[in-house]
This record gives sequence, structure tokens and C-alpha cells, in this order.
Amino acid sequence: MSRRRMPRWSPAAPALLWWGFFFVVPVAWIALYSLGQKPPPGGGAVTLDVLSGANYVAVTSELFLRVFWVTLRTAALGTLACVLVGFPVAYALARYVPERWRPGLLFLLVLPYWTSFLLRAFAWRIILAPEGALSDTLRALGLLSAPLSLLDSNAAVQLGIIYNYLPLTILPIFVALDRIDPALGRAAMDLGAGPVRTFLAVTLPLAAPGIAGGVLLTFILAAGDYVVPAILGGAKGLMVGNLVATQILASQNLPAGAAMAVVLIGLLGLAVLGAQAAVLLTRGALRLARGPAL
Amino acid sequence: MARERGKGTRVALLSWTALTFVFLFLPILVVVTYSFNGGRNLYVWTEFSPDWYGRALDNPRVVSALMVSLKAALINAAIAVALGVPAGMALARRKGAWTGPFLALLFVILGTPELVSAIGQMIWLDRIGLYDGLLRLAVGHSLFNIAVVALIVRARAEGLSDTLEEAAADLGARPWRTFLEITLPLMAPAVLAGVLLSFTFSFDDVIISLFVQRPGTSTLPIYILSSFKPGLKGDVAAIVVITLGLSLIGMLAAATLLLRGRGKALGGLLD
Repeated sequence: MSRRRMPRWSPAAPALLWWGFFFVVPVAWIALYSLGQKPPPGGGAVTLDVLSGANYVAVTSELFLRVFWVTLRTAALGTLACVLVGFPVAYALARYVPERWRPGLLFLLVLPYWTSFLLRAFAWRIILAPEGALSDTLRALGLLSAPLSLLDSNAAVQLGIIYNYLPLTILPIFVALDRIDPALGRAAMDLGAGPVRTFLAVTLPLAAPGIAGGVLLTFILAAGDYVVPAILGGAKGLMVGNLVATQILASQNLPAGAAMAVVLIGLLGLAVLGAQAAVLLTRGALRLARGPAL
Repeated sequence: MARERGKGTRVALLSWTALTFVFLFLPILVVVTYSFNGGRNLYVWTEFSPDWYGRALDNPRVVSALMVSLKAALINAAIAVALGVPAGMALARRKGAWTGPFLALLFVILGTPELVSAIGQMIWLDRIGLYDGLLRLAVGHSLFNIAVVALIVRARAEGLSDTLEEAAADLGARPWRTFLEITLPLMAPAVLAGVLLSFTFSFDDVIISLFVQRPGTSTLPIYILSSFKPGLKGDVAAIVVITLGLSLIGMLAAATLLLRGRGKALGGLLD
């Protein structure tokens, strides 16, 4: 009887409370801790008696700025590569693969993504090892004069990032392409547009939101990655995630790590807003251009 | 001409897709193969031998990390289901002004870099004095997994119409009886898939575990991560493959449940 009088959202209330207490509040504490002071060398807790922005000054150190730049570059190049490799795959899955194969192939696509992060990074250590099979093969073929030296560098991290996030880019693009009514493409062809023009004027604009979604997700997760650079990057392939983790776990400097995390979140938030603006602008521009085009 | 070009495009796209799938699966194949490398140096193939599996499982640190991982994943899955299932049902069946903001929070949780969430957990769990290692891991992992369970359950509940429940009510069944005998069995595949997925995600998690762990409660992925520094031997590859096997079993079971459940529900209700 009392069930009727409860608000409609009441079954979701426990989840909401749990998230509020264990997610929203903790993330807000990061911002507060970024203004605190690190405990004295003997140990103890972070002091929040005097709040200051000193930690943010440390964040502008040369090392941090360089690593930040490398992180953004690695994430951006990785995202670009994922889209270039992934778009044709998503297109083939949506248009050229027989329908009965699709569920199985989509499952195979997400399968590596749902297996361990560690496993996937670890695999590349075996493949790229200087004394490994790939290195030996390349040398036997005369393509390489010295042992392969990709490991523990930014190049290895770049490869690992592309490998890691490729399925995550393909999926949203596939969903967007799959939703497009094939009749639209046929109509464009009937009206005299060639395949290239149909693709550029019909398919691509309709798939734009899916591409933007995939790009954003890939970029955010890649920029905050810790595992790939920790396993493949060594000292030369550091990314912000490793710097933050080192500050907090090794140097016991929680406030400095928190400040770095806040800067990272801020930049990623800006990226999200920027991407949304770009999508809106592109859509507007395409609408203007498309009108007379067909 | 047009047909010829269409054929070329088709062959090119399908070959590219095949190559991409090879790229995605080759590394996994390599780890599985090299976990059977009998040599002392993991990277140099010498001979086939399953020895490293025996040695890995003889290592008490590995076994204790495995137990920690399994227990934390179980508690986490229980939390994720207890909170995620009602939330998912409400998202599908009791829509209202609250749904938009709730979904927004849900997607923020799914999209936040894990590192950020992990730092917050570390600060907060210390502040509220939650020092039990297993509970810290389970709570940390549950945040993401509640969202996953809610989304799966919502998708399933939206695919079902409530005619069966209405029929039960018309025939005189009390609300709790309708829930137990009609709603719950209909939702079972989604709930089970949610359990398996949240178990798997927790079992594989690295970043949150790294930040919230206490001495003595290291998970298996943390043990693997820490053994990268002293140099790699075959035992690490063997452990990685064992975790892969466990994750795969969970994933395949979840996928089977979701696909089969969907077929039955649609078939049963649309006919």
C-alpha cells in the first residue's frame, strides 16, 4: 500500500546515495587536498589548516609541463590513429558483413577490451622485446641492423594506446553507421550523386555524432591512462597518470598529486566542451553546405 | 564500372577488417603461447613446457592474491547488483524528471578517468576510517559496476512490456508475488549478466586497487604489476593467462545469457 506513495525515483535512491557518498564527495575532496600541505617527512596526515595554491605552482615545473604535453600528444595521435584504422572497420561491419555474422564479430571486437588491461600491455612487452621473435625476424630479413629498441619509449606507449582503445573507437562509430537508413544513400545515388559524394554529403554527416563520441571517449581514457605507460613506457615514456601516481604512492605527496589530477580533469573537461562545440559548428556548416549540394 | 569499383571497395574493406581483428588478437595469442615457454628468459622461446603454471600456483603470494581478488570481486558484485538492479528497473519503468540527471551522473561515473576516482577513494576511505582491505577494494570497484548493472537491467526492462505483470495483477496476484514470480524471472538473464560483468571488471582492475589497497590485501593484478620490476619470468605469463581464462569464462557466460535472454523475451512477447 505504501508503495504507491513513494516517489518514482525511490528504487534508484540507494544507488544515488552510494555514488554521492563514495564518488561525488571523494572527488570533491581531491580539489580540497590540492590546496593542502604534504605531511612532514616522518609521516602523518595531510594538513588542511592553511590552504594555499602552492601545489599548483609546482605543477608548472618544467618536467610536469613536458610530460603533460607528451600525454596530450600521445592521446591525440592515438585517437587519430584509432579513428583512421577503426572507421573502415566500423563501415565494413555496418555495410558489408553479412548480418548473421555481426553479433559474433561485435562480441569478438569487445572481447579483448574486456580482458585484462595488464594482459594487453604485457603482450606487447613479449612482442617488442629486443631479444624476442619479432626483433630476430626483422634482423634476419635485414630490415633491422640492431636489436629492436622500441620498449620503454614513447613509441611503445603510442602503440599500446592505439591497441588498447581501438575497439572503443570502433563501437560508437559502428552504432552510428548502423542506424543510418540505407535508403538515404540509395536516394542520393538516384539523384545523381556518385559514391564519394554520397559518402561525404550523406553518410559522414549522419555518422558525425558517433565519431565524436568515439573520439571523446578514446581521448579521455587515453589521456588518463596509467597502465600502458607504466608497463611499456619505462622512464622515457611517462604520462601524467604515472606522474600523479608517483607523487602520491612513492613520494607520499598527496597534495601535489591532487593538484595534478585537478589540472588533468580541467583540461579533459575543456576538451569535452571543445569537442561538443566542434560538433555543433560542423553540423551547422554541413547543413549550410549540404542544402545546395544535392 | 560502378559494380567493379563497388567490388574493389568491398574486398579492401573486408581485408582491412580481417587485418584489424588479427592485430587485436595476435598479442593475446602471443601471451598464451609464451606462457608455455620452458626457458628461463620469457622472451626467448626455447621449448614447450607447462612448468611455469605449476610454479606460479605453488607461490603462496600468488595464491593469497588470487583469494583476495576473488573475495573482493564477489563483495563488489553483490553491492553492484543490490544497488544497480533497482536503479535499472526504475530507469526503465518509473521514468520522470529524475531520469535525466541520474543518467548524467551515471555517465560521468563511467567516463571519469579511473585514476581520478582512485585518488578520491584513497583520500575519502582514509578520512572515514574504512581500513578493511577487502571492503576498500569492493567499495572502490562497485562504483563503476553499479552503473554497468543499471544500464544492462534498464535495457532489458525496456525491451519487456509490462502486460504480463498487469495480467498477473488482474488475476489477483499481490504486487510482491507479481514481482517474485513474473518480474524477477524475466529479469534474471540481465541480473546474472550484470553479476558476471561486475565480477570480471573487479577481478581485472588495476588502478583503483593500486590506490585503495592496504598492506596484506594485494589483488592478483597488483601482484602482476609489482613483478614487472624485478624482471619477468614465465610464471607471470602463466598467471596472466590464468586470469584471462577466468575473465573469458565470465564474459562468455554473460554474453550467452544476454543473447539467449533477448531472443526468448522478444520471441515470447512479440508472438
